[in-house]
This record gives sequence, structure tokens and C-alpha cells, in this order.
Amino acid sequence: MSAIVVEGVSKKFRLHTDRAHSLKELITRRDRNAGIDQFYALDDVSLEIPEGSMYALVGHNGSGKSTLLRCIAGIYRPTTGSVKVQGRISTLLELGAGFHPDLTGRENVYMNATILGMSKKQIDGVFDDIVEFAGIGDFIDSPVKIYSSGMYVRLGFSVAIHVDPEILIIDEVIAVGDEEFQRKCFDHLADLRRRGVTIVVVTHGMGTVETMCDGAAWLDHGVLQQEGPAADIASAYLRRVNEHERAERQADAVAAAEAATGPGTELGTVPEVDPAAVTEAWFGEDIEISEVWFSDSAGEVVSTGTTGEPLTVNIAYRAHRSVEDPVFGYMIHTENDTPVAGSNTRLSGIETGKIEGDGVMAIKMEQLQLLPGNYEFTIGINDKFVQHTFDRHYRSHPLAVRRGTLPIGVGFVELDATWIAGSGSGHTPEGS
Amino acid sequence: MSTPAQVWSYRTLIVNLAQRELKSRYKRSLLGWMWSLINPAVTLGVYTVVFGVFFGAQAPVAGNGESTVFALWLFCGLVMWNLFSGVINTAISSFSGAGGLLTRTYFPPECPMIAGLITVIIQALLEGGILIFFMVVIGNLSFTMLLILPLFVLMSCFAFGIGLVLGLMNIRYRDVFYLTGIAMQVLFYATPIVYQMSILSPTAQAILRFNPLTSYVGAMRQVAYFLDFPTPGSWMVMISSAAVSLVGGWIIFSRWAPTVIEEL
Repeated sequence: MSAIVVEGVSKKFRLHTDRAHSLKELITRRDRNAGIDQFYALDDVSLEIPEGSMYALVGHNGSGKSTLLRCIAGIYRPTTGSVKVQGRISTLLELGAGFHPDLTGRENVYMNATILGMSKKQIDGVFDDIVEFAGIGDFIDSPVKIYSSGMYVRLGFSVAIHVDPEILIIDEVIAVGDEEFQRKCFDHLADLRRRGVTIVVVTHGMGTVETMCDGAAWLDHGVLQQEGPAADIASAYLRRVNEHERAERQADAVAAAEAATGPGTELGTVPEVDPAAVTEAWFGEDIEISEVWFSDSAGEVVSTGTTGEPLTVNIAYRAHRSVEDPVFGYMIHTENDTPVAGSNTRLSGIETGKIEGDGVMAIKMEQLQLLPGNYEFTIGINDKFVQHTFDRHYRSHPLAVRRGTLPIGVGFVELDATWIAGSGSGHTPEGS
Repeated sequence: MSTPAQVWSYRTLIVNLAQRELKSRYKRSLLGWMWSLINPAVTLGVYTVVFGVFFGAQAPVAGNGESTVFALWLFCGLVMWNLFSGVINTAISSFSGAGGLLTRTYFPPECPMIAGLITVIIQALLEGGILIFFMVVIGNLSFTMLLILPLFVLMSCFAFGIGLVLGLMNIRYRDVFYLTGIAMQVLFYATPIVYQMSILSPTAQAILRFNPLTSYVGAMRQVAYFLDFPTPGSWMVMISSAAVSLVGGWIIFSRWAPTVIEEL
């Protein structure tokens, strides 16, 4: 049973590039249609969102996610196509939308909840829960203009989730609030979902998509790219983002090179770019991961590993400028996306120093502890605060692990553990 | 297009919007609600002094056959005029004011308009109450005053229809707001509010009859001052103008409001 059926929805907007804002302009401008451009924010999008599922819309800014949400919510009418919705919708497109700064929290809660379609009696019933969840306390009877932005946001969220919706539509608003409140929100969303509420979210957090959502749709320039299980969409989307970023950098580099050979150089406004480096600058802007390969104890390149045998992961990088203490990291996933292990140089307490030009960073394992199976490595290079990613290869380096001569157990990893019978040392923890 | 039934199902919201408007209107002001009385009182005072004293305008004899109070005669017209201009100005500001909300949640766009209308009607009832109070004081009272309510309803419908369309247009062309201000000034003097029809030339009187407001103001004076019934002719003008304005305005508004909201 689908809670929401979107069928061939297109939404056309007029771009008023030179819109008449006054009657005078309207009358004096000869060609009234001259400044009007049209563009499709949504182009023939069809999807079904099953009842009781949590569904994510992903895509870069301006891809039409929010327009689609507004079409589902009934705020926008599709130009063509139809949206069928089964159930009562509560929207959370902007937190605290409709809060009047001069009115008290209490008055605003009633106001906001009625906008979301509740009757006064229903609000009376959940009012205490709303205040409790928001953690506003005595401030509820103060004008909301004296609230901190956090309180404002919490109260707005609290109202939206307490209106007992059948369908909840959320636009990138969960990202606000402190850690504790966020966790509370996610718990509550999970709770709502268990109660059969259909939740549609727009988010940029692929972590949220992978861990919380059942299904997802990926939009790009208003066109549905892919729809399906959340984890698949998230990885497909991330892959595209990475590719796109690289392509853009290449284009930038080409443009820069052209500018450098043009008249710009004489003026000294454009930094010199080695034309030979242009094709190389296809990858990361500051540091790129040029190659990743696995090797055995003899340094021979291998494509498979053996449980219990040495294995080295080699990361060849090229730093286009000198970078202080970049952080190299890896993550190992199983084929079906279960994370197995991961770490980075920062976690391991390694300072990588200043790097520039070509180099290789290796992860050396004396004994490969992965059990036989197929794994995928994610390799990344970040800045020293792990805030900015210079380059990342997401699950793009597969490693098949074979069984060696060692006796092995089950699961993903072989721990470096031994069985000890009756030695007595661990027998009575408080003894001796 | 929102039907009246859909709008009705959002009545709690309408009431809340109206309450919000009323509550926030006089927040942080010392006199608070008093302001809604001070404003019309000052207007009435100024017009009484200017027209009644300086120009020596005389009010006709009231329904009780003895009183001639220029201020009250004037007040009858002003109450009606305030309702008219109040409804239109509020409609314009309600729609642009609710714009932010309308792009974030779905509800019929008529709701904030009706909420605004309610606040103006409350103000009109207040003024109407004061008018009746002073009529009682001078001993000019009759059951014809009960007709004030239907007159208010007709006036509200007439002004609301116009306000819906102006509010809609104002989103695209801000000139509407300024033009309305000017039109209101002209219309105020093109309606026999501060003067009597009889002081005009027959031609001017004929022209003025094309202004539906002439009928509304005249009818108000009939029921509240002369304690008489409005003529069937003025009833017809009022009922038909109110119906045409309301139905037309509603259809135009509900047809175009969703498109206009997308431009907010």
C-alpha cells in the first residue's frame, strides 16, 4: 500500500529575469514576455512511497527535492501529472514557521499546531508533551523572540512531530539543534515509523539515508535519476558527486591554464599553471589519491589477500600544494555494506608531517585478520582536523580474501586470540 | 480552487490567525485596546471641528424629530467607511503577511484573508456599539438599528471581494498598495460622508449615485440616524454589489492565489 503516489509530475517555474515590479514598467516595456524564462524544477517524476516507510530525497542543491516535497504537501500544484496522498500530512519545511515573535511560546504552539491541522482539543491533549519534548520549561509563557535559536527550533520540531500525522514531511531541518536534541529527534522519528507513520525527508546526510531510511530517490535537475533501497541510492549518489567534483576541477584547471597562456599572464593576475599539469589536475584539487593497490610481503602487487598472511595497502598520492599533517584513513566494508573496520592516522596518533608532490602511504598488516570473503576499501585523505576531504575513493577498491593454511573461525575477522584451558589466571578475577 | 467547504474545515485556523492578529496588534503598547477607540474618536473629532464648526455644516434632524448632532450624523457614515477601507487594507496586508506561512505549509490561502476580515468586523462592531450608545444618550433609538448588522454584512462582502483581488495583485505589483491609498482618499470625498448629498448640483448627485458606497452610507444613516428603512433601490444596489464583488473576488482569488504564492 502506497501512502504517496507521484505520477509523472512536472513543475514549471517562470524565471522572472526582468520582471515588472511596478505598473509603470509593465506598461512601458514593449515585449512583456521578453524577460520571462521557464525552467522545469521537476521533469516527469514518478515514484511511490510505501506506507509506513521512511523515504529520503537526495540530490544536490537545486535538484528539485524541495519542490517535490512542496508538491506532495500540496503547497505547489504540479504543472502536469498528479500526486495522490493517503493520510494526514504534517509538514516541517522550516522550523518555527508561523511563530510570531511577540506571542508567547504557548500561543505559538496553538497557532502552529492549528496550521498543521489540529483542533484545540487535540492540542490540549498533547500540549504538555510538546513542551516536555522541546525542553522549554518555564519559557513557554515568554514571547518567542527572547528564545535562543535552539529553543525556537526545538519548539518548532516538537510541535510538528506531536500533531499525530500519518505522513510527515521534513525538509533538511533535522540538522539543527545540538547533539542531544538531534538524537532525541531521530529516536522519535524511529518511533513514529514503528507506529506506521510515513516519513519523507530531504537530506544531505548520506549517513542518515543509509542508517534510517528504507527507500530513497535521487533527483538531479528535476529528473529522477534512480529510485530504490536507501543504501544503494546513497552510494550511487556519492559516487556521482565524487565524479562530478573531479570533472569540475578538471574544467577549472583547463580554464586556468587557458587563462594563464592568454593575456592574463601579462597582467600578472592569474597564477602560472604548468600546462603539462593540467591533465593531471583531473583529480583532487590539493591532494589526490592517484592509485591504491595491495601488495604482499615481497612487495609484489596482489589482488587477493590471504587470511593470516601479511598484506599492505598502498596509497599513492600527489599533493599539488604543500599540506600540513593530512589525515589518511581507510574503511573496510563487506559486500553488503557492513562496516568491518576502519581507522585513520589521527586516530592512530600518527603525524604525517608536511607533504608535497608524490608519495605513498602504506597500511601494513603483519597478519591479515579478515576472514575469507569479498571486501571493499574506502580510502580517504582529509585535512588535519578531518573537516575537509581532499580526496576519497568510496568503496572502490575491492579485495577478495582467500583461505590460507591457518585454521579459521567464522565472521568477518580472525581475532588474535588464544584458547587457554584451566591455567587459572583468568578464572577468578578477584582472586590471587 | 478552494471551495467554501474546504475553508470551513479550517475554521480553527482562521480563528487562531485572527486571535494572533488581535493579540499581537497592541502588544507592548501602554494603552493597548484603547487605541482601537482613540483612532476613530480623533478622526471624528477632527471632521466635526473642521466641517461642523469651521464650515458650519448642519446635520439634518434625527429620527426622534428634535436632535441635530453633526458628530453623530457624521459618525454613521464614518463607521461604514472605516469598515470599507479597513477590510480592503487588511486584505492587502493579510495576503502579503501570510505569504511566508503559505509557502511552508498547506492551508487554503483564503484563511488568512478571512481572519483579517474578522478583525476588521470586530472593530466595526465596537464602533457600531459606541454609535448606538451615543444615540441612546441623545434619545434617538429605534428597532431599525437592528438593520446595522445586515448592513455590516453587506458592506463586508462588498469590500472583501475587492480586497481579495487587490491583495492578490499587490503581490505582483506593489503599486497596488500605493494606488489603493490614493483611491481611498478620492473615494472618501466622492462619497457623501462629510457632506450631505443635497448640497451638490443635480448632475453631481447623479454621478455620485453610481458609487455603491453612497447607498451603503445612506442606508446606514437611514437606520441609525433617521430611524427609518433604506429605500428598496438602495437595498438592491447593496445586495447586488456585495454579491457580485464577493463571488467574483472569491473566484479570481482562489483561481490565482496558488500561482501567486509560488512567486512569494
